[in-house]
Amino acid sequence: MDFIDYYSVLGVDKKASTDQIKKAYRKLARKYHPDLNPNDQEAEKNFKRVNEANEVLSDPEKRKKYDEYGKDWQHAEEFEKAKRSRAQQGHARDYSGYTYSRSGGSAQDFSDFFESMFGGGGSGFGASGQRVRFRGQDYNAQLQLSLMDVYTTQKQTLTVNGKNIRLTIPAGIEDGQTIKIKGHGGAGIEGGPAGDLYITFSIVNNTAFKRDGANLYKTVEIPLVKAVLGGEIQVDTLTGKVKLKVAPGTDNGTKVKLKGKGFPKYKKEGQFGDLYLTYTVKIPKKLTPEQQSLFESLEKTNLL
Amino acid sequence: MKQENYISVKTFCERHGVGESFVYAMYEYEILQVEYQEEKGRLHVEDLPLLEKMVRLHNELDINPEGIQAIHHLLTQVENLQQEVASLKKKLDALE
Repeated sequence: MDFIDYYSVLGVDKKASTDQIKKAYRKLARKYHPDLNPNDQEAEKNFKRVNEANEVLSDPEKRKKYDEYGKDWQHAEEFEKAKRSRAQQGHARDYSGYTYSRSGGSAQDFSDFFESMFGGGGSGFGASGQRVRFRGQDYNAQLQLSLMDVYTTQKQTLTVNGKNIRLTIPAGIEDGQTIKIKGHGGAGIEGGPAGDLYITFSIVNNTAFKRDGANLYKTVEIPLVKAVLGGEIQVDTLTGKVKLKVAPGTDNGTKVKLKGKGFPKYKKEGQFGDLYLTYTVKIPKKLTPEQQSLFESLEKTNLL
Repeated sequence: MKQENYISVKTFCERHGVGESFVYAMYEYEILQVEYQEEKGRLHVEDLPLLEKMVRLHNELDINPEGIQAIHHLLTQVENLQQEVASLKKKLDALE
């Protein structure tokens, strides 16, 4: 567990006045506030650090304690005593936890350093803590599935905060797609509506196909002779093998579309995207003496 | 579970410690809808997450309604651009 220099987090001097601390905090909070930095985890992390620094430095009691023990906090006997004494007070100071409610907001996220020095939780959003106290908190969860899992519609039961939720995951759901399950977030407060549960899908593609929406892409090697003379090849699709005719004189990089052999279209039952194959002509690297001789004969015909 | 789909502006403001004028300013700036029933304003619960975000910006960062309107406009653009970037990244990945 590392010591955190809260003064440097806020960029203020150790002798900074309450006003200076407040000003520095406001400036940084505006910069890193999660509502102003959507989907930016780095900003969220910074915001939490700034919030924590303010939680300590804006509270005279906490600041005094922090200044007193500073870097030696781990070894301070007095601190240990204080800690024991706090533990004896039991739940009298049962903090309500992190109440800075927002989409994706989770439990209080103070550092281990903070928790060990001041106990769990704090007053939420700094000294000005105006809590959102009506609609329940939104919950975010992530569900990882393989590409083949989402080839068909799935029914799954998830346990979120002790409640079982039956979930139908439509075939063709996208990687990174989020679905909202209404009313399955945190309970509303004082009669307020419950929050929602957002499930983001992480689709792991461990197949040989690349996916773009409902279309699949794959590169297929074809032998040189088949590319020149034409013929039949067997190709793997997501659901099995298919036979394909290769036209004589097929160029390297030729693209072929297999209609309806792609991925299911999201929420369009029975409809599928296409599979696009790109041919790569395989040039033989080792020739038998006989093959060498045949190529040399071909060369004499000025073909190659 | 039966759920009330509307909440009165008055109740919302009492719970959040903001003046009703703030909510009506958000309505005036076309950030959300306020419906009227028997001359009393009410909000659809679907709009609550957005409104609560605006309340946070107002209370926590001292941003006035005009500033919130500008932020709302820019955030919508940022979110659209983020979606577009994510979708283009996927396409690029498929073609690489």
